[in-house]
Amino acid sequence: MAQLKFAEAVRAAMEAELASDDRVIVMGEEVGKLGGVFTTTMGLRDRFGPDRVLDTPISENAIVGWAIGAAVEGFRPVVEVMFSDFSLLAMDQIVNLAAKLHYMSNGQFNVPMVIRMPGSGGTNHGPQHSQSLESIFAHVPGLIVALPSNAIDAYWMLRDCIRYDDPVIFLENKYLYFRNTEEVDLDDGSHGFGAKVARPGDKMTVVTAGRMTPRCLEVAGQLDTEGISCEVIDMRYIWPMDTATIAESVRKTGRLAIVHEAVGFGGWGGEVAGWAAEHAFMDLDAPITRVGAARVPIPFGTANEDEVIPTGERIAGNLRTLAGY
Amino acid sequence: MDIDGGVAIDLYRTMKLIRAVELEIEKMHHEGVMTGSFHSSMGQEAAAAGVCSALRPPDMVTSTHRGHGHAIAKGVPITAIFAELLNKAGGVSGGRGGSMHLHHRASGFLGENAIVGGGLPWAAGAAWARRRLGRDDIAVAFTGDGGAAQGVFHETLRLAQFWNSPCLFVCENNGLAHSMSTDEVFGEAGTITKMVAATGMRSRFVDGRDATVVRDAAIELVSEVRKGSPAFLECAVFRVRAHSLSDPEYRYRAKDSGIRWLEGNDPIVRLRDAAPRAIQQEFDQVDEEVRSAVEAARAEAQAMEPADSAAALEGVYATPGLGADGAA
Repeated sequence: MAQLKFAEAVRAAMEAELASDDRVIVMGEEVGKLGGVFTTTMGLRDRFGPDRVLDTPISENAIVGWAIGAAVEGFRPVVEVMFSDFSLLAMDQIVNLAAKLHYMSNGQFNVPMVIRMPGSGGTNHGPQHSQSLESIFAHVPGLIVALPSNAIDAYWMLRDCIRYDDPVIFLENKYLYFRNTEEVDLDDGSHGFGAKVARPGDKMTVVTAGRMTPRCLEVAGQLDTEGISCEVIDMRYIWPMDTATIAESVRKTGRLAIVHEAVGFGGWGGEVAGWAAEHAFMDLDAPITRVGAARVPIPFGTANEDEVIPTGERIAGNLRTLAGY
Repeated sequence: MDIDGGVAIDLYRTMKLIRAVELEIEKMHHEGVMTGSFHSSMGQEAAAAGVCSALRPPDMVTSTHRGHGHAIAKGVPITAIFAELLNKAGGVSGGRGGSMHLHHRASGFLGENAIVGGGLPWAAGAAWARRRLGRDDIAVAFTGDGGAAQGVFHETLRLAQFWNSPCLFVCENNGLAHSMSTDEVFGEAGTITKMVAATGMRSRFVDGRDATVVRDAAIELVSEVRKGSPAFLECAVFRVRAHSLSDPEYRYRAKDSGIRWLEGNDPIVRLRDAAPRAIQQEFDQVDEEVRSAVEAARAEAQAMEPADSAAALEGVYATPGLGADGAA
């Protein structure tokens, strides 16, 4: 057991995998001497050496391509992209090579690689440092898309992801890094791609992920005092998408809301809603509700950001309306 | 010119095989047997043959959209190449990659890459990885002059120097990035070499029409690369064919410019003419061997079972349990 903040859990997961498997390497901008701009690689270079924790120049596309080369030759690279926004510079290597290589080589190559990306809002970093890109990555065949909401998942999901034989986009909501301290069992945790019922309830199902999970849980607590019982599902992975857990919940509640920080239009919530309309229609007693970010760049300033990203207040309003059907 | 007979025959065989396979591919297109795109490397064979002749079997190669010559020179079986182009299960990539996605790990041919410059970091990373694992294998990353305009070219060359990757970057400068004149973008052939040399990387510029010259330069650079640092080789070549089969090249150059160039510069003819008189008969023999090998390979490939299209939905992920439908 360890008392860890989210960022410490990420660091601990990499440390554990670096220690247990010589093939694991960590690479990225400022991950070595500096220990990561968010301290997620602090001390790893000292313990494992500069050959396994590699500071890189600012060349996202080449770094990812290089990691692909290392991955297919037997390494298990963990690449840190300092802000998820910068991953767009590496989209060629991520989308055109990493995601497709296993398939287009007919299984001759595997790409066991994790690309970690601090992202999303809440930290006043402005339009080019605050995007939630999970929907874009979830759209690409060949990628696994992880979006943990808490330190325990950050730890165990990252350890799992480093062991998968496929490329993983591991999105870390930097807002969560230093918020809470959680008790993390370092010996055993939840594995696999399944979603988790973060709070049981019977009036409606609220599907969410990442930092919207604690926000939805807070809203659910508040609505509970109003007699509205919400079942909050933390998806953990955007792809693969655990629709079975959603189905089971909706059968019970008859109502479905999806809350995410990614832009609502074209967001992964639309995929959940579309799935439910096709496969859970008979269980639904009300229209599906979606709450996502406005299709607006994430502005600087908390007040501005709150206009764009789903706030607790806005989520609560939407859920009350859903409960009223 | 003093050429070793055995070397000349080997280079000749490789070039002849590339030429014959690519001509056969054009034929298959005209006959309607094959669909999809095809980018001929006619006129550039000496670069592929010369560079790959300096490599060992475990050495690795990444290539471009114009990569059939590199694959053949690295020893990828031509039957499996034909099969890939014909969408057969027996193709190098199971018939699901096509002309621009030949991958053959067993030959050290990591793969083509249909994104210009896209194969460079893979090669550099793979070479670095092998060195880290205690092997002395190297990688060659082929690119074109077009690739030298990509950001990833500069990023990768820098990173390769920074991390001492045993990777040889080979730029086949054929003077045209599709329709864009390389002279206009970079300046005359050799300018890209100067640009790279200015970064401190060991660099050479050679006449890519001459397979033995390319080979000698490659041998020299490969021996340096094998010691553990990257190098760069620019080969001045010429793209005889249009960019691709569907490219209306008459809009940017005389339609017969390729063939006219070939008449005086064909690398295959140049090698043969420069070789000792005593081995001329052997060239004739090679011609016949290549002709029958290509004929047999195509026939064998054509007779193969088509790729099972039902399997098109499988093999996206290596992780057990992950399928196309997202069910975990």
